[in-house]
Amino acid sequence: MTQKVLIDIGKSFFQRQNWNPFPFQLETWKAFLQGKNGLLHAPTGSGKTFALWIPIVLNYIRKNKNYKEKAPPGLKAIWITPLRALSIEIKQAAEKMILDLELPLTVGIRTGDTSASERAKQKTKMPDLLITTPESLQLLLATKGYEKIFKNCEAIVIDEWHELLGTKRGVQMELALSRLKTIVPKLQVWGISATIGNLAQAQEVLFGVNQNPAETVLVSANINKKIRVESILPEKMETYPYRGHMGLHLLDQVAEIIRGSKTTLVFTNVRSACELWFQNLLEKYPEFAGEMAMHHGSISRETRHWVENAIRNEELKVVVCTSSLDLGVDFAPVESIVQVGSPKGVARFLQRAGRSGHQPGKESRVYFLATYAMELIEASALRKAVKLGLVEDRVPYLNSYDVLIQYLNTLAVSDGFYPDEIYKEVKSTFCFQHITREDWQWILNFLVYGSQSLQAYDEFKKVELDEDGLMIIRSRRTAMHHRMQIGTIVGDASMSVKFLSGGYIGSIEESFASRLQPGDTFIFGGKRLQLFAIKNMQVLVQKAPAGSKSKVVSWSGGRMSFSAQMSELLRQEIHLANQPEELSVELKALEVIFKRQRKESIIPNADEFLIETFKTREGYHAVFYPFEGRFVHEAMASVLAYRMSLLSPITFSLAFNDYGFELLSDQEFSIEVLLDNNLLSTSYIHADLQQSLNATEMARRKFRDIAVIAGLVFTGMPGKAVKTKHLQSGTQLLFEVFKDYEPDNLLLQQAYSETFEHQLEEGRLLLALERIAKQKIVVKECLKPTPFSFPIITDRLREKLSSETLAERIKKMTASYLK
Amino acid sequence: MTLETTINDQLFTMHSSGALFWNEKNTLLIADVHLGKVTHFRKNGFAIPNDALHKNFEKLIDVVDFFKASTILFLGDLFHSTKNSEWDLFIEWSKQCTCELVLIAGNHDIIDAKNYESNGIEVVDYIRMDDFLLTHHPTEVEGMFNFSGHIHPGIVLRGLGRGHLKLPCFFQRKNQMILPAFGAFTGLGIMKLQEGDVIFAVTNEEVVQIKMSEK
Repeated sequence: MTQKVLIDIGKSFFQRQNWNPFPFQLETWKAFLQGKNGLLHAPTGSGKTFALWIPIVLNYIRKNKNYKEKAPPGLKAIWITPLRALSIEIKQAAEKMILDLELPLTVGIRTGDTSASERAKQKTKMPDLLITTPESLQLLLATKGYEKIFKNCEAIVIDEWHELLGTKRGVQMELALSRLKTIVPKLQVWGISATIGNLAQAQEVLFGVNQNPAETVLVSANINKKIRVESILPEKMETYPYRGHMGLHLLDQVAEIIRGSKTTLVFTNVRSACELWFQNLLEKYPEFAGEMAMHHGSISRETRHWVENAIRNEELKVVVCTSSLDLGVDFAPVESIVQVGSPKGVARFLQRAGRSGHQPGKESRVYFLATYAMELIEASALRKAVKLGLVEDRVPYLNSYDVLIQYLNTLAVSDGFYPDEIYKEVKSTFCFQHITREDWQWILNFLVYGSQSLQAYDEFKKVELDEDGLMIIRSRRTAMHHRMQIGTIVGDASMSVKFLSGGYIGSIEESFASRLQPGDTFIFGGKRLQLFAIKNMQVLVQKAPAGSKSKVVSWSGGRMSFSAQMSELLRQEIHLANQPEELSVELKALEVIFKRQRKESIIPNADEFLIETFKTREGYHAVFYPFEGRFVHEAMASVLAYRMSLLSPITFSLAFNDYGFELLSDQEFSIEVLLDNNLLSTSYIHADLQQSLNATEMARRKFRDIAVIAGLVFTGMPGKAVKTKHLQSGTQLLFEVFKDYEPDNLLLQQAYSETFEHQLEEGRLLLALERIAKQKIVVKECLKPTPFSFPIITDRLREKLSSETLAERIKKMTASYLK
Repeated sequence: MTLETTINDQLFTMHSSGALFWNEKNTLLIADVHLGKVTHFRKNGFAIPNDALHKNFEKLIDVVDFFKASTILFLGDLFHSTKNSEWDLFIEWSKQCTCELVLIAGNHDIIDAKNYESNGIEVVDYIRMDDFLLTHHPTEVEGMFNFSGHIHPGIVLRGLGRGHLKLPCFFQRKNQMILPAFGAFTGLGIMKLQEGDVIFAVTNEEVVQIKMSEK
């Protein structure tokens, strides 16, 4: 069948739906049918799903003369989605097309939500088209005889590749692709990505280093969506809180927006805010009851599915949600988006904005709700970013040994692997292109000996090395443990929340559950619950009696930082505050606060670098304002504190947000000394960063995830906590043990390199210091905390840095008791 | 390296290793060594550094040598789990050690007592000496002072400038003292303090009494 005939089949399907294929769809069909690999650059809701499902099916038609009769058995194409919530939508699209074209193909979903019986059925008979997640794909690689499953697979599509790119799930995907490309040398690989700053690199990472770039294409949808950004402003700015709250003071304005739209999504950044907003809306506006819902990652999936369907069926007026609704699923009825608090990035903001006005040609409306006054500046900066299309890069991981170790264990629990064969594949990935033979050997030794050499009396057992060189895990117990732990998303250990009478409500983190006493009331899943008991990793609850006071479940979500682009825009906005003729609505609203800031200190101009000092009950504060995003500030703060501490013994507590950072000490310290000694210099920056205690603290936190991913920690079996108790240990403890006894362990080293590259953003730190070196430093001695400083100094999540001895520090400290 | 304290007219020396020396009885009290834990993990495929297990024996040798004690009373959780190759290292150490060894069995001590007894190590549930009661789990008995382990007591210290520090400690309340875990691969249980508690924090080099304040 010629390409033209095939494409006409695709077009005829579109005609029967009364659609017209977009140019980018046709372009993708053609490229695919020519056997090319490629990256499709298209936003959510643009028709990207049919851009790739169609040619996959057309390719099947081309290869099977009797394509309308019985299809040859076996998997033909895989569609990877990062969010299992999206799988249903993708399946429906595929089924619509198959039904219309009267093809005998089956479509199946395999995710963490798929039942065991369904998975077993799939194993004996794979669907023709499989929709799955990166984790579930790894799990397939962990089954015996997995090569047979993929043998006849023709294509793999990695949807939302931008979501995976800057994460370890992306690395996991790179490794899986490297394996699949050996099993099926002609496998066609396609990615789909929304707009990111580094699209070309996204393409490179997807295809690995062995692919000839000429054989891959980039198809761009070029759909410019209109997005209107509006800030929700209070009547009186004087009452705006200085420091981050939940933004509930603007509840009434939000209720107005809800009333005025068919459906509104209220996005919060963390689950606790989501719970609180839901509760407060319901209490103040009981008329929304029955038409409002909540959606976040800890709520049971039945409830989440129900919510998603209810949105589609226009049954809901408002849904309070978190990033769990960021992706995919087209919700046509959504007219307005409310973003509570800073989204921290342009890409995420665009993504959320795009959840409204989904029909082509419709405008997306997004309302920004600043939870504290200074956040309004971000709204102004975001609007500019949207206009200019400035979207962040997603920086891919390099040398993620933890993911590699997990992957090799995965291959070892299925059929085993021969290191030389796998080395070539691993080396072909973007992530591991620079891996050395030595590092590779280190990893193999780690898998087999649990150290770098075989030692007497040692009983380490994981991967066995056969005489012919095959590396395999034979212990069924070890294999089961490994399969349970496949994945690269590490959360706190979670406990399921259940009614005494039996119903499952969702899961909460162990750290929160452990703070609850029987009889305590807490809000979860929009319900007021009372703790009855915690038993076998289950939180047993009953409905709380009316009128009891409640805690809100808190989650330790990741903290995000501003990108370089966003920081630049933010600085521009701040400087604009001194030019009253160019003020945006937000900056105008902030005038009250700017006035106070000017009275107590200054608003820096583009050529000025502001440092404020003041004393409070807590000690001596110095607040610096580079406006570079919190990660860079974290690095800068620790280097500065470290350099200061070299001059004389002193202990600092550090705090930072996206605007600036603070050094706080119980001793008085002089900024003059800091400037005279040129402590903001870029020389020896790497050594100083490494020396600052802070790097160790941060590496400790990075190590937590690394240890879990690499399988150094057993996260336990659900409901079987007791049996595995002797195998549980904290990752903090592990970090100490490795630091003391195996400092050159690659996983420990990785914790440090991740700290420098991904957390401290050393490269950006250098650029920032160079910029500051050109600025005029303005030191303001203030009488009290200024409006700019307030959100920083009240941050409770702090780092410390000290050059005093432990004993000296202990002498100054106290342990406190409750009376 | 050490700090002395008097309890019921007896002199006790706290050592920065976490051991407690009873001067009048020439006896060392050691809690929660968790021998075999590293190997137990390794056997199950968790690559904890092998060197960590030798640290426990080094510490034992050093502290016995320091006090020249005649008896060691282990306050439970001497072994983390079932027997493994560390058992042989332990027996080797016990043969070279000149002290009399007694184990007050803890919840982790699931190795049959016969194995200890055949090597000359006594295993008991608790010990009463004068008006002192030695147990694994903290236990309150009228008129007795209780030494115990099990908890792995730790403490969070706070200072000005919002600094904080987490350290293992000797934890004393009314008629009891809980010893810190001696083992190199053990975690901390952070204590909730009350007025009147006495805390001796343990660093690598020192034992320091902690100032208390009301929250």
